[in-house]
Amino acid sequence: MNALDFSIVAQSWPYLWSGLLFSLSLTAAAFAIGMILGTCLALAQHFEIPLVAQIIRGYVAIIRSIPLILVLFWFFFLVPIVLGHLSGNGRPIPIGATYTAFITFGLFEAAYYSEIIRVGLRAVNKGQFEACQALALSTYDTYRHIVLPQVLRVASPIILSQTIILFQDTSLVYVLSLTDLLGAASKLAQLNGRLVEMYLVIAVAYLVISSAASQCVATLRKRYAAAAAR
Amino acid sequence: MPQATVSNATRPAEIVVVENVMKRFGAFTALNDVTLKVDRGEKIVLCGPSGSGKSTLIRCINHIEKHDAGRIIVDGVELTNRIADINSVRCEVGMVFQSFNLFPHLTVAENCMLAPIKVRGISQSEARDRALDLLRKVRIQDQADKYPAQLSGGQQQRVAIARALCMQPKIMLFDEPTSALDPEMVKEVLETMVELAKEGMTMVCVTHEMGFAREVADRVVFMDRGNIIEEAEPETFFRDPRTERAKAFLNQIIH
Repeated sequence: MNALDFSIVAQSWPYLWSGLLFSLSLTAAAFAIGMILGTCLALAQHFEIPLVAQIIRGYVAIIRSIPLILVLFWFFFLVPIVLGHLSGNGRPIPIGATYTAFITFGLFEAAYYSEIIRVGLRAVNKGQFEACQALALSTYDTYRHIVLPQVLRVASPIILSQTIILFQDTSLVYVLSLTDLLGAASKLAQLNGRLVEMYLVIAVAYLVISSAASQCVATLRKRYAAAAAR
Repeated sequence: MPQATVSNATRPAEIVVVENVMKRFGAFTALNDVTLKVDRGEKIVLCGPSGSGKSTLIRCINHIEKHDAGRIIVDGVELTNRIADINSVRCEVGMVFQSFNLFPHLTVAENCMLAPIKVRGISQSEARDRALDLLRKVRIQDQADKYPAQLSGGQQQRVAIARALCMQPKIMLFDEPTSALDPEMVKEVLETMVELAKEGMTMVCVTHEMGFAREVADRVVFMDRGNIIEEAEPETFFRDPRTERAKAFLNQIIH
C-alpha cells in the first residue's frame, strides 16, 4: 500500500478551483432563478389564479417526483428537438451544456422554493392582512412590504437548507460533461491514479462548505426562535 | 345607484351611516338589520355579550367584513364593491385591533410611516416627523427605533393607535383594544384614548371598560344576537338599563 501523497492536490489546484467556481456559480444562479420564479409560482397559487394555479400545481408535483438527473437529460436532449420543430426547419437547435445546466437547475429549484414559500404565505397571521386593509395599503404594497418579508424571514432556514442540497446536487452536471468541483476531482484522480487523495480532499471541501452553511441555518433558527419568544 | 359623493358644502352631521345592514357567516347571522348613525365628533361605545355582532359591525364600517345587505356610507362615500371607494373610506377610518397587529419586521417608526408614504404619498422625512409627533403624543417616542416585540403589550397598543393616527383619519374604530392586555397596562391605553376623545376625534369603540364609557361616551349602544337592542347616554344606560338582557349583561361585567 502506497503512502498517501497529497502533492497532486497542490499541483492541480487551479483546475479544482475552476471546478469549485463552476459549482458555486451554478448554485448562485439556480438560487436566484429559483427564488424569483418560485416566489411568482407560490403567489400565483396563493391568489388561486384560475387555471394558472392548477398548471403550477401540476408542474410542481411533476418536478418534485422526478430525479434531477432525468430532468437534465430531458432538457439536454428534448428541448433542442422541440426548439427545432418550433423554428420550422425541423433540425434540432442545440442549447449547449452550460445553458442546459443553468436553466434546468433554476426551473427545478423553483418548484422546491415555491413549495417552501407557499407554506410560508399560509402561515402569515390573518391580523397582518387586516392591518394592511385598515391602512388602505394596496395588494402590491401589502405583499411587497409586509407579507413577503415576513415569509422570507420565517422560511430562511428551510430555504438555506434547500440551497445546501442544491449545492451538492450541482455535481450531477457530470452527465452533461460539465466540470464542477467533483467532476474536476474525478478527472484528475483518474488521470493520476490518486483516487483516495483526491476524493478525500474533495469530501473535506464539500464538508467545510456545507457545514459552514448549516451553521448559518442554525444561527438563523436560533435568532428567530429568540425573536418569537420575546 | 345613489350618488356616491356629497360635496363639503352640504356635509351632513352624520359621518357614518349604517342602514339595515345584514351580515351572515354561513348559517350564523352576525348582524341582523342593524341601523346606526354616528355624528361628527361623537364618541360611541359598543357593548354586548360575545357573539353579539359588535366587532362585526365596526369591521363592516371599513369593509374588512363585507356586508351582505343594507347600506354603509362613510363621510359621504357608500361602500360598494368598488376598490377606489373602499380605499378612500379606509383612508379616513383608522382602526385599532385587539391583537395590535403591528408589523413585527418593521420598527415602531416604520410601522407608522409605511401607509402615509405608500397611500397618502407623503415624503419619507415628512412621514418620519409625523410618526415621531404622534408617538410623542402616545408617550412612546423613546421607542421609535425598537421593534414591536421589544415593547410591552400596552406600549404596542399605543403604537397601533399612533400608526392609525398617522393616516390622519376622521374616525377611529377600536375593536376591544384593551382585552388582550394585562390589567396594569389597560390604564395607559385608556388614557391615550381619553385624550384622543377630548381632542374631538370621532370614535366608535367596542369595549367593556365601563369607566371609559362613562368618561367619554356620548352614547352607549348595546347589542345582542346581531341586533342593537338599546341605545342611551352612559349614565342612563348604566343606572337604568331598559332591557333585561342589558341588565343581565351589566350584572355580569360589573361583578
